[in-house]
Amino acid sequence: MKEFAIFWGCTIQARFPFLEKSIRTVMTGMNIPYRDIDGFTCCPEKSLVNNIDHGLWLATGARNISIAEKEGLDIISPCTGCASNLATVKGELTVDPGKKNKVNSLLKEIGREFKGSAGLHHLIPFFHDEVGIHRIKSRIKMGFKGMRVAVHYGCHMMRPSHALKNDDPLEPKKFDNLVRALGAESLNYSTKLLCCGQGLDRVDQHEAALQMARVKLRELKTMGADAMVLCCPSCFLQFDNNQYLMEKEGERFGIPVLYFTDMLGLAMGYTPEELGFDGHRIAIGPFLKKWQEMMERPSRSQFEEEIAKEGALV
Amino acid sequence: MLETGLDFDRLEKCDRCGACYDICPSCLNIDGYDPRAVIRDILDGKPERWAGSKHIWQCLECHHCLEICYQNYGFENAMTALRLYATKKGMHPQQVKRGWDMFIKTGRLGEPLLPARKKLNLPEPGKSGKDEFLKLLDLYMSRKKTR
Repeated sequence: MKEFAIFWGCTIQARFPFLEKSIRTVMTGMNIPYRDIDGFTCCPEKSLVNNIDHGLWLATGARNISIAEKEGLDIISPCTGCASNLATVKGELTVDPGKKNKVNSLLKEIGREFKGSAGLHHLIPFFHDEVGIHRIKSRIKMGFKGMRVAVHYGCHMMRPSHALKNDDPLEPKKFDNLVRALGAESLNYSTKLLCCGQGLDRVDQHEAALQMARVKLRELKTMGADAMVLCCPSCFLQFDNNQYLMEKEGERFGIPVLYFTDMLGLAMGYTPEELGFDGHRIAIGPFLKKWQEMMERPSRSQFEEEIAKEGALV
Repeated sequence: MLETGLDFDRLEKCDRCGACYDICPSCLNIDGYDPRAVIRDILDGKPERWAGSKHIWQCLECHHCLEICYQNYGFENAMTALRLYATKKGMHPQQVKRGWDMFIKTGRLGEPLLPARKKLNLPEPGKSGKDEFLKLLDLYMSRKKTR
């Protein structure tokens, strides 16, 4: 596998360094060659920058991509927002040579050029398509048999599909496939593809953001989900942080929120410390406890052997 | 008026369709969120009615409407146009203003947490491209002015 540039984005490094810990631990453990490169800025965030200045949004995104291109590297991002923004900029400039030329005439002044040659990967489709289910399975020491996990895709992993081509935009499968590969049950639930709603928290509408978080958390609580798994720092902020804020006000859901690499890391045998679990606001303890119980439960074949000994099966 | 590049023919159809209401997270979960009311006012030449409304900021840009749209359009276009319009009038939310200020000053929306990194035994983060970004921003803004 050739080497990648990793694009962390602002949110993971500024707010959730423990997620970076989890991602690095797993990437290294899976022997995925990646390196940090100098010079990246904000991707930039679409809902902020694009709503104010579309041209600057394009130029900033193109500059980020050009940095990896200069090094001859493809980009891999564990942040859904970054992956989507960079891909949307790349898509828009690729289909419009006039715009691309305009952006490049700017970039030339700072010694850069956007070619559009760098591949852009989001962590989930990357693990699904490039690493592959087979290789992931071969690294699992302890599967999640018996655990009921709710995948939260995160909108920008697969939408807009004209730019991303990561999965079916309305019926995605890859994240479910990965969770099943780890041995867990991936729950079907009616609000599965509902947007997390974190965007509302960035436009002075905190109560509306909490209301959106509630919709999904309520359903998962009713279903008795053991955890939610996601792969986007913005969704993580919404479900871990905001769930915690609601719990402090006495509204309890008790849904642990795992990053995909948290789950994969546990299955590979890493400890909660190695995966930075201390940083999570919603306790992961209940999930780990049930997992332990599930692993200690006798398997069906052990049970059959037991009763056969007793002469019960004739 | 709106300087948007909006496709008014398609918006006319949006006004009569509404297929995305059943998939739009905000239509489904936020009281009073009604993009077609916004579109009607755009078509009637009255976008100013919405410049100060919180509703135009409730579009989550999840792109569900775009994906399910029979015209491959989606009413998110109308919402983006109105947010640009509101921003030009200085009527965007405080948090957006703060985020923008941080972005144009530092090129980022937050800096790596160094003490926490040390505790977690994380390596030095990659260097920020702030200086080069500020140069690009200067160039971009001066070209924008002369255009």
